[in-house]
Amino acid sequence: MAVSKPKLVVVGNGMVGHHFIEQLCSLGLNKTFDVHVFGEEPRPAYDRVQLSKYFETGSADPLMLTSAQDYQDWGISLHLNTPITAIDIAAKTVSSAQGDNYHYDRLVLSTGSFPFVPPIQGNDRAQCLVYRTIEDLEAIQAAAQNSKVGVVVGGGLLGLEAANAMKQLGVKTHVVEFAPQLMPVQLNDKAGDLLCSKIEQLGVSVHTSKATTAIIDGETALHRMTFNDESYLETDMIVFSAGIRPQDSLARVSNINIGERGGIEIDDYCLTSAPDVYAIGECALWQQKIFGLVAPGYQMARVVASHIASLGSNTVSQSFTGADMSTKLKLLGVDVAAIGASRGFDNAQFVELSDNQGGIYKKLWLDETGKFLKGAVLIGDNSDYSRLLDSYLSQDEIEGSAVELLLAGAENEADLKDTSIVCSCHQVTKGDIVESVNAGNHKIAEIKSCTRAASGCGGCAPLVQKIIDQTLQAAGLDFNAGICAHFDHDRQALYHLCQVESINDFNTLITQHGKPSASGHKYGCEICKPAAASIFASLQNHYVLDQNLGHVQLQDTNDAYLGNIQKDGTYSIVPRVAGGEITPTKLIAMGQIAQEYDLYTKITGGQRIDMFGAPLSQLPEIWKKLIDAGFETGHAYGKSLRTVKSCVGSTWCRYGVQDAVGFAIDLENRYKGLRSPHKLKFAVSGCTRECAEAQSKDIGIIATDKGWNLYVAGNGGMRPRHGDLFATDLSTEDLYKYIDRILMFYVKTADKLQRTSTWMDSLDGGLAYLKSVVIDDVLGINDTLEQQMDHIAATYQCEWKTSLDQPEFLARFNEFVNPNDAPTADTNTYQRIRDQRFPNIKDAGAGTIAVKDITDDIEQPAVEELV
Amino acid sequence: MSWINVCSEASMPKGTGVAAWVAGRAVAIFNLGNDGLFALDNIDPASGVSLLARGLICEIDGELCVASPLYKQHYRLDTGRCIENNDLVAKPFDIKTEQGNVFVLAQS
Repeated sequence: MAVSKPKLVVVGNGMVGHHFIEQLCSLGLNKTFDVHVFGEEPRPAYDRVQLSKYFETGSADPLMLTSAQDYQDWGISLHLNTPITAIDIAAKTVSSAQGDNYHYDRLVLSTGSFPFVPPIQGNDRAQCLVYRTIEDLEAIQAAAQNSKVGVVVGGGLLGLEAANAMKQLGVKTHVVEFAPQLMPVQLNDKAGDLLCSKIEQLGVSVHTSKATTAIIDGETALHRMTFNDESYLETDMIVFSAGIRPQDSLARVSNINIGERGGIEIDDYCLTSAPDVYAIGECALWQQKIFGLVAPGYQMARVVASHIASLGSNTVSQSFTGADMSTKLKLLGVDVAAIGASRGFDNAQFVELSDNQGGIYKKLWLDETGKFLKGAVLIGDNSDYSRLLDSYLSQDEIEGSAVELLLAGAENEADLKDTSIVCSCHQVTKGDIVESVNAGNHKIAEIKSCTRAASGCGGCAPLVQKIIDQTLQAAGLDFNAGICAHFDHDRQALYHLCQVESINDFNTLITQHGKPSASGHKYGCEICKPAAASIFASLQNHYVLDQNLGHVQLQDTNDAYLGNIQKDGTYSIVPRVAGGEITPTKLIAMGQIAQEYDLYTKITGGQRIDMFGAPLSQLPEIWKKLIDAGFETGHAYGKSLRTVKSCVGSTWCRYGVQDAVGFAIDLENRYKGLRSPHKLKFAVSGCTRECAEAQSKDIGIIATDKGWNLYVAGNGGMRPRHGDLFATDLSTEDLYKYIDRILMFYVKTADKLQRTSTWMDSLDGGLAYLKSVVIDDVLGINDTLEQQMDHIAATYQCEWKTSLDQPEFLARFNEFVNPNDAPTADTNTYQRIRDQRFPNIKDAGAGTIAVKDITDDIEQPAVEELV
Repeated sequence: MSWINVCSEASMPKGTGVAAWVAGRAVAIFNLGNDGLFALDNIDPASGVSLLARGLICEIDGELCVASPLYKQHYRLDTGRCIENNDLVAKPFDIKTEQGNVFVLAQS
């Protein structure tokens, strides 16, 4: 008969409790113990650090850290919805709220914390909530549905997270803080003030130095909050996030020692005053300190697992020696970081950088000798964090002047020592990551699963990626930065090379910067050649089919013949119809040309007309007729501005507040011909009814009675995305400036075939960063961007007109080099449907695409997209 | 089988292709300068459409290829074999120059 295993009971299945189980399993202790885990929530452990993600997806699934199945697989009994109400430390049993008793040989308390709700009269009114669990989020979401205004009480780290969530739910958000500044625990006053102004710019109102005295019935909203300075605020919902308190009530009623101000007292092995009972995480008090971050909790979990493993064996247990509380995070899109003694201390030396223009504040605190970093605070730019944290944790003497630490920039962010901790949640060092990369794990997902780096709060993911790239590069291995097999550079790097070295032809580019090829060929491929052609066009704006520069050989199918190839090898023709406005005369001219050549015609999604079925050899004469009728090329074949769609606007519409059509035409004329990493679409709506669907465009403009609202980075297609509001009530002049800058910055920095939406999301800081570049000019490049755009606009040419003026060029459009030997009749066959001509190709479906990489380029919601 | 004079050497653009009519069929001919001349049936085997001459010249793992303009399959210029699908072949033709003229060997 088997000897029964010793029993291990864990109370609490939050992040730390779950981490303890993982540690236990990694040591194989789930086999030697009979493990029971009790959680009071209905779900197993989930990620509380990134709670506001719940609102991005509307689901708890992305937050889950584990599942009931995992526990079953580990042979661990997981009891959810089962609060533990008492511990008998003499009998070594715990009792559940359901009245069941469980024996333990070892007990781990991982009960976490609870949100502190200030004792204010009325704090229990309807829609007065807290922010900790998924159930809390559901309640916040429900309340937001019938709220216009919301207040978060507490301007600390969690309060600002809650404010972010509230803002995402579309509620006008206020933050009320008792202290004179935001994040008083981590930030000094200047840093707090800058954070405050940045958050207010995002539309969140911040009220500091305010103590709430009561919550009573409101007049314009559900509640009125009255403050100690006689002022008040009316609001429909309130979220209390004024700090956390250790959840120590179970220990308290069980006569386990509790600190004076709460928290279960523990020693260096996380043992409490009761025999064989441990406490870990936010409920534990070590040397009179509570650690309210996940990383120290994880450290405690590791210590306890190691202590249990050491019992009855000759291994030595780890011990808890305190934890670093440095933190880096993005609050409402604003970078914030605090390291060590981030609020300073007496006799400290300091270095301070306050960049009012760039919205950046950094301060380093040094010891009395000025040689050792003791603390730092960063607002608006976190890029120095890893390096500073490394300097702080290692306590190596600072080389040179401390100010250089601030100005070193982020380029060498990954130049850390092998012993430097990269992921503080899971204590993963740079060396661990490098080792794992060298063992064959080249993707961040693989690194996450085998080292666990970046799988906690995720804050270190960009750094982990850099270390992966650096390691692969050092090992001479291919990594994903290169645009294709012929270059190690991404598009942005190629753009810079071409710009700085004035490279204007592919042969120079591949000879000087391409990868050495065993065969010695310098042909490139269908990826790098069109990308290079697009870069040359963005920089110089020469004729795209220039034969002397060899540009014609670089162009992909559509650009090469200035038309859009169709499935039967014929082309479609799309003249520009700026703003969708066309005179009857031009409409008739187009109709006559289409009739003469028997072209299939269709109205596109971009408010113009597409004519299909022109064989290669007819393109020049058709275009000659179109140009004579006053048309110009529509660039439908290019990665360039397609259309500026418009509604009819104030000229005819009885609701319009601005002339949408006139403005759309002007915009289209300014940006036509701009070659970009991907196609660009604009729209202008003349009023808030948004009939032009501007929010689904790369650049969307909606008229207001004071000017124009600008939306950026929307798109239709396979993965539709609404544009983000970039700026409001702009004058026409400012709007042009902003669009100039946004587009040139996109052209300069985006990857090949990257739409504006994915480009903006890929920028570190996303929309907020783009705003800082375009509106605040943090990079100091706006003058250059505008000049470049002026150059593009000034050198615009209708490529078809240029082509028709060069007879030698037109030879390319002969179907055969020996046309006299060719049959005169068209070899393609057609059928007539609905009085128009269609290709007679057996296979009516889409062809098989050979290269998966281009699928993103083939979106098919409208004819305009197909071309 | 006979050699057909399709054009003068001077009328062949460099680094790209052009279609020639050779005894009742379209042949794509490519002039890669020092790397030579190549000729493949102009019909893209993947789509059945006559347009390979309009494809982009590529180098894939050291092999010279033409990428179909329609769905981007790569065909080796020397053998016509499709890199992505071994079953697809664009028939290769013999091609030569003589006294400044380009000849393609017609096949029955």
